[in-house]
Amino acid sequence: MAAPIRVLTAVPICDGHDSAINTINLEFIRHGIEVVYLGYHRSVGDIVRAAIQEDVRAIGISSYNGGHIEFFAEVVDLLRKKGASEIKVFGGGGGTITHEDAAAMRRKGVDEIFFAGTSLEEMVKFVHQRYGKPRAKRAHAKTADIELARKLTEIEDGKKKIQNPKSKIENAKVIGFTGPGGAGKTTLIDELVLRFLNTDKKSLVAILSHDPSVVGEGALLGDRATMINSQNDRVFMRSMATRGQAGGLSPATQDCLALLAQSGFDYVIIETVGTGQEAMPFQKNGIVDQTVLVMNPDYGSRLQLQKIVMLDLADIVVVNKSDLQRAKTAHTEIEQRLEQNRRGQRLIDTVAKRHRDPGVDRLFDLISVSGKSKPEEKRRKK
Amino acid sequence: MSKLGTVVESVEKYNQFVVDQVKRARTDQKFGRDLLGRWNDIKAKIPTSRTPTGIPLPRLALPEIDEPGEIARYLFGEGLPGEFPFLNGAYREMYLEPIREVESLEKNGDTKKSAAKRIPQAEEPTRLFSGLMLAEDTNERFHFLSAHQRSKRLSTAFDGPTLYGIDSDADGVFGKIGEGGVAIDTVEDMVRLYDGFDLGSANFSASMTISGPAPIIMAMYIAAAKRRFGPSVVPNLRGTVQADIFKEVQAQNETIFPIEPSLRFLTDMVEFTTREMPRWYPISISGYHIGEAGSTPVQQAAYTLSNGFAYAEMFAARGIPVDQFGPRLSFFLDCGLDVEYIALARVSRRIWAIGMRDVFGAGPKAQLYKLHTQTSGRSLIAAEFKNNLTRTAAELMLAYMNATNSCHSNSADEPFTTPSEEWIRLAAHGQAILLEESGIFKHTMNMLSGSPGMKAVERAVEAAILEEFREIERLGGVLAAVEERYQRSQIQNAAHKYEQQIYDGTRPIIALNKYRNGSDEATPEVKLARTPRKKQQLQVDRLAKFKKKNVDKSKRALDKLAAVAESGKNCFPALLEAVEVCSLGQITGRLQEVVGRFRPMV
Repeated sequence: MAAPIRVLTAVPICDGHDSAINTINLEFIRHGIEVVYLGYHRSVGDIVRAAIQEDVRAIGISSYNGGHIEFFAEVVDLLRKKGASEIKVFGGGGGTITHEDAAAMRRKGVDEIFFAGTSLEEMVKFVHQRYGKPRAKRAHAKTADIELARKLTEIEDGKKKIQNPKSKIENAKVIGFTGPGGAGKTTLIDELVLRFLNTDKKSLVAILSHDPSVVGEGALLGDRATMINSQNDRVFMRSMATRGQAGGLSPATQDCLALLAQSGFDYVIIETVGTGQEAMPFQKNGIVDQTVLVMNPDYGSRLQLQKIVMLDLADIVVVNKSDLQRAKTAHTEIEQRLEQNRRGQRLIDTVAKRHRDPGVDRLFDLISVSGKSKPEEKRRKK
Repeated sequence: MSKLGTVVESVEKYNQFVVDQVKRARTDQKFGRDLLGRWNDIKAKIPTSRTPTGIPLPRLALPEIDEPGEIARYLFGEGLPGEFPFLNGAYREMYLEPIREVESLEKNGDTKKSAAKRIPQAEEPTRLFSGLMLAEDTNERFHFLSAHQRSKRLSTAFDGPTLYGIDSDADGVFGKIGEGGVAIDTVEDMVRLYDGFDLGSANFSASMTISGPAPIIMAMYIAAAKRRFGPSVVPNLRGTVQADIFKEVQAQNETIFPIEPSLRFLTDMVEFTTREMPRWYPISISGYHIGEAGSTPVQQAAYTLSNGFAYAEMFAARGIPVDQFGPRLSFFLDCGLDVEYIALARVSRRIWAIGMRDVFGAGPKAQLYKLHTQTSGRSLIAAEFKNNLTRTAAELMLAYMNATNSCHSNSADEPFTTPSEEWIRLAAHGQAILLEESGIFKHTMNMLSGSPGMKAVERAVEAAILEEFREIERLGGVLAAVEERYQRSQIQNAAHKYEQQIYDGTRPIIALNKYRNGSDEATPEVKLARTPRKKQQLQVDRLAKFKKKNVDKSKRALDKLAAVAESGKNCFPALLEAVEVCSLGQITGRLQEVVGRFRPMV
């Protein structure tokens, strides 16, 4: 089966009109497209960086706040400048983009502009026809990001294997995050990234995040949309759909993770899909150095805790949203549960949504402690 | 329990009180007689107006009832216009024409007042919304629009960079400078924006449609007024700044700080303005954008009211007296074509009054749900767009049937552009035709109130709003529900259903899914208001000059502001100083370092 088409969708900077794009995203997903959704109020730089890292076929931009001729043109220009003009640009803006505007935008390299009244079916058909054919032979990758992104695509599409998936560059610290949906994993990771970036002004971070999908179907890869600190040139993020695999990861995860761990990042973070409780998503004795289970205080009864296998296996357990009323009880119950294990597991309370949260600081200290700064020559060249 | 749960109880209790009064009026003879006496007295004192053809009409129409129970149901359940619980209007006369000749009813024998005493018209409801290109361009438009108006009531739209608290020289925003609204970076822009208007005059008011950076923009407005008229102008400033953080997070996505610090900066501003600027409305609690984002009418009313009660709870917790902030709250609703709109604002006014009085202990002035309405932008479409005039006219009718205090009518060309002068003018004329040319609203209050259908809608809408309140209360109150994205998901779901109904034809949209003319014509060729590159460059250059001029002073002001923000004290006085020498983007950026940035909800 052919690999799903991947596109990135976004709303431009200073524009919060996200209702059209939300509807379009859902329609794309229903028709087998994997959508990396970047969210609203996103700059040209953020959009192009994400598109390159995600190695998408095209970028769909939904613009309702004016300035679209310049904005779309800047996206096309920056793609070209970065050596990524194989990534195409399309979009729309209801009635705010006139036919004359659209003509100007096409001249500047935009593939297609949809006007008010275009049906969702037409848009889906356009994406399938225009971006669904296998890629022609790809030109030499101009930057390290592009090269890495393409290799990840090859692995994900089953065209490439990593020879030594368990080897990694020394000092590249690999941290695995898992936990139920809605516990705040993405927010927590984004807050940790801010600390990684600020503490060592040269450190580089990679994030491999996952969202669920069924074999042959589309997926909404939406973690980037709620991230603010990870929209940064020192962060390489890749969103993957599970493509039918249970357990919160994709069939290609192990190799992709290995590739990232071998690519000169100081920290490699892997985030699973919001998972159940049955098993540990990360391989035993794999390359993940440290595992973090992020819990929501609302896990239900105490009995539920006994069923969560991850509580036995995680190195660090985080009770996020510890400002909630139930959090204190949750802390006590989980603490007792961890004591039974006698493994010295750490338990930390965080409020990830809070700026400069002391709990996140403590978690950062635990995670970054073994991540020594690595010699200059081993660092990745941008 | 948050105060919202108590509000639900207070409304239920009040409804029971009304039932009890009706019963008592029917069983307690003295009480019944007194009510009947009061009723006759009210009727006797209603002045008469004359239509242009000479027909006499009462200035207030009342139901034709003479049975004490029914009288009790009306007086306690609805209230006369201007009386608790304000179902029929916040004020007694709203937009009635000033009296030319008062004909007091002879049988009352009170002829003293029959002298030709002019009662000033209580409400001048037309507002003019504008904002385009640079401050001087919007200023010119304001002068054009208000040239023939007795009162200058200007409503300002800002461009994208301003709404997001960033400067015109920020990366990648060049094309958005002056698009969809006016570009404001500095206090100097703010001086240009209202140049030539007498900001301290009773006939002037400025409304600023901005929320995320509202405290900074408010500080710029005050600073600009002081530059032009001296510090003594401050207590006389009239106007509104939107500053509605909850609705931004629920629907409009223009939030720049995390929710809690956003609310704190808002409260800082409210504390300052309600003390120092008694005529200013520092928040406009807005359902409009919730409606435009796709909510149902009931969701719009329920979220707007519950947001309002949450703000009231927050301001009270800061220690601001309810009778100080209560009268300075205002509301803003969308009015579309769905039938719920026939009574949405009426019901909202009643619930607000009961909640404010019985839960917050508010006095009469702090019980008023003072409302600005705008016709629905979402209801307008590009296909055969001149139909939009009819849509807007019908919506205006509904808005005035709700006795809105002020109103904005959308231009028919809005589906494809910033409104052009021709269509703005027609939109404003729509209101004048309804209020001044037609006799519907100028002779008699309650002209269209109280029809059996309207009452049926009132009952259904009130019950549905209270049910929404209960759900929000179950989630732990407004803030908790917002953080759980409750309102957001509900709105998105409703928007999806609405689109689905258009798609499957169960919601007819004329010329779109019904009575289509067949030729799938493109967007009509309308002249677009676009900001020329030269002007955009001018804005960037002016900003650079301002920054250069204030390079040292701005650093000190920002340091001070950051220190106050860290300390947890009221930031507004430091903001007032900072805007003198710092740009909007500089201030936003510095505050974000202290409190963080807003994390988008999707």
